[in-house]
Amino acid sequence: MTTVALLGNPNTGKTTLFNELTDKYAYVGNWTGVTVEKKVGQIRHSHTQVIDLPGVYSLSPITKDESVVTNYLLQSSPDLILNVTNASQLKRNLLLSVEVLELGVPVIITLNMIDDLKRSGYSYNLKTLSHELGCPVRTSNARNKEGLAQLKADLVCEQADIKPNAPLQLNYPMMVTQAIRQAATALTQKNQVEPKFARWLAIQYINNNKVVRKYAVKHQLKPLLSQKAYYDAQKFADEIFETRLSFIEATLAAATEQLQSTKHVVLTSKIDKLVTHPVFGLPIFVGIFYFMFKLSFDWVGTPVSTQLDKLLSGPISTWANQFLTQVGALPMLRSLIVNGLIAGVGGVLVFIPQIFVLFACISILEDSGYMARAALVTDRIMELIGLNGKAFIPLIIGFGCNVTGIMAARTIEQPKERLITTLISPFMSCSARLPIYSLFVAALFPRHQALIVLSLYFLGIVVALLMAKVYHVIFKAKEHSIFIVELPQYHIPRLDIVWHGTWDKGKGFIKKAGTIIFAGTVLIWLLSNFGVHGYVTQIDQSFAADMGQILLPVFKPIGIATWQPISALLTGVLAKEVISSSMMVLFHTSNQGALIAMIGGSFTALSAYALLVFILLYIPCFATIGTIKSETGSAKWAAYSVVSGLVISYTLAFLIFQVGSLLM
Amino acid sequence: MGLLVNIIIIAVIIGFAGYQIYRAVKRSKQGKCAACDYDCEAKKLLNKSKKHAL
Amino acid sequence: MNHFMIKQFNGLDAATTQRLHSLGLQVGSDLQAVRFYPFHGPVIIQVDHQRIGIRYRVFKQLTGGEAS
Repeated sequence: MTTVALLGNPNTGKTTLFNELTDKYAYVGNWTGVTVEKKVGQIRHSHTQVIDLPGVYSLSPITKDESVVTNYLLQSSPDLILNVTNASQLKRNLLLSVEVLELGVPVIITLNMIDDLKRSGYSYNLKTLSHELGCPVRTSNARNKEGLAQLKADLVCEQADIKPNAPLQLNYPMMVTQAIRQAATALTQKNQVEPKFARWLAIQYINNNKVVRKYAVKHQLKPLLSQKAYYDAQKFADEIFETRLSFIEATLAAATEQLQSTKHVVLTSKIDKLVTHPVFGLPIFVGIFYFMFKLSFDWVGTPVSTQLDKLLSGPISTWANQFLTQVGALPMLRSLIVNGLIAGVGGVLVFIPQIFVLFACISILEDSGYMARAALVTDRIMELIGLNGKAFIPLIIGFGCNVTGIMAARTIEQPKERLITTLISPFMSCSARLPIYSLFVAALFPRHQALIVLSLYFLGIVVALLMAKVYHVIFKAKEHSIFIVELPQYHIPRLDIVWHGTWDKGKGFIKKAGTIIFAGTVLIWLLSNFGVHGYVTQIDQSFAADMGQILLPVFKPIGIATWQPISALLTGVLAKEVISSSMMVLFHTSNQGALIAMIGGSFTALSAYALLVFILLYIPCFATIGTIKSETGSAKWAAYSVVSGLVISYTLAFLIFQVGSLLM
Repeated sequence: MGLLVNIIIIAVIIGFAGYQIYRAVKRSKQGKCAACDYDCEAKKLLNKSKKHAL
Repeated sequence: MNHFMIKQFNGLDAATTQRLHSLGLQVGSDLQAVRFYPFHGPVIIQVDHQRIGIRYRVFKQLTGGEAS
């Protein structure tokens, strides 16, 4: 088995390349930090294993996801490293390549996104590059599948056939060279470190690589530890950087070939003029979201979903009912299947169109390169709160699922900021909450569906940001946050990537229908059909009703007048979709239309909105709670997020209902 | 006979539901990839390689 | 008008300096300010054909106090 590691700067197309090479699909987006943990794939019909590592600017990590790469190189040695570079930004990409080449592991460099480079009017002589860097250099464009056959051929070879690279030797200033040599020799003799690796360790240690320094402490590498003060006092790290950069500049100058000059990246500049406009940038950002919800609720999603619901509540329910009666099923089983499963699980499944349309929109945003711009236009507001524009990206990912959002928070540099982002992630309105919004907006706000949903999403953002500010003050997070975002060139979204992205996100929803939503529905059916006296025909005597009634006084002040939504909220902790299916079961309706009428009857616009706000912010679902626990490493934070969610949601729903009642 | 089949079906449905809840709670405790419902390809491969290792 | 030269990295924290270095920025690099956001919001700069968003404070430090 040959192991190939993909390594490169963020947003150079590693993941796209990974997917193309392995005939597999991993998550792709056009912004920095898509891959937060390493992924493993296999090239089809071969023994070559490919590892997709998160994008890094250098082997000296600043963020948690970046340290994944350095740790990987310290712990395991791949047979081959494929260094993916962005051809049009080769200068800074090579800074990382130099670090990798010094390691002495066989490396192949590929100049990816070669079309962007050609469009800008010049190209590189591959032979010169290859000679200077001492490793094979290829070109590719993963998006158009250019140059992939060659790369695949390079990678699919037996271990023995891989040509070894001699480690790259740069002419560091004399003092530095001497320090490296002494340290490397000592490491080899005293600590039995392999010579090539010893040299690399020494360079990285001198260059103030935090992970390597920790590694040295852990393994008691005395030759390095004893010289630490000397290295730092002499500012060797700066000298290393300068040597590398001048080496790269010389190499590139020798390899650059002018093509006839062409208009430089017109598309990107034109779009950017508009979407990153100082004044209109923010309104455009909001507008894009409004358009997304319009598409999901008014134009495409809801009409399709209504048709699905007609099918489900009409022919399917009737047929199932008749069939079950004919084969002699007990009324109880009939009720479980028709009123429970079909109404509940089916009732959630009919929202697939809305959810898929929304996911498709988010996938298009991700693939196009807009996300980095969103981070930019929101940075000023985020800075006021003490957060970073980049924190916006995990939050937007949270719209799909809070769990993925929390994972994406790994790209944030400062531990305290990361913790804050993790804690506010559950306030972002994930897709699981869409079905319940859909039901309520259809019942009470038929004309302004998109607007109401948009307001909920933004309320989620506002609450998240306010809480972030509060945490910032409480934690006394003084560390300066780094805000440096790259603005990648726009890509015209590729249909298959968008479809894959949509499917990847949407698949989870369908799968949940068969697992946790199914389970939640059965649970609520049991609760609503059994009471203290066993099987009940009157739902008012069921456990569900009892529980709801007990809690009713608590929920009265936020405008909930019936017990059904309360019981639905309880089961909603399993997964937020279960709230909708529970409502179906509890209101004993088998179709959306009837439920919408019921909701319309027992809620006012105000109390419905208060309830939606409560649903938006209350306890995170199980999966999210678990992830908060594992990412923060403490059950306390998980418990805290439950309590804080409850308090905030109740307070806000209370205020909305009470103040609203006064005004109306 | 009919009654028995009925009861068995009900029991199966409820049992499956109970199992799913149990699994969800267990998975949530692990957090990270396990808690995430998006079954991305990378995760599948990861699971596969884990199975091979065992 | 909007061309600047990077004069110094002094006064920036280590992580910011490191990240800017990794992006290929160094003393003497030609820096073009593409866009300023109001209220001292972020600045879009262009260096070596790549566009990067940085904070105003960082921009000021890099260019050594002069800004148009």
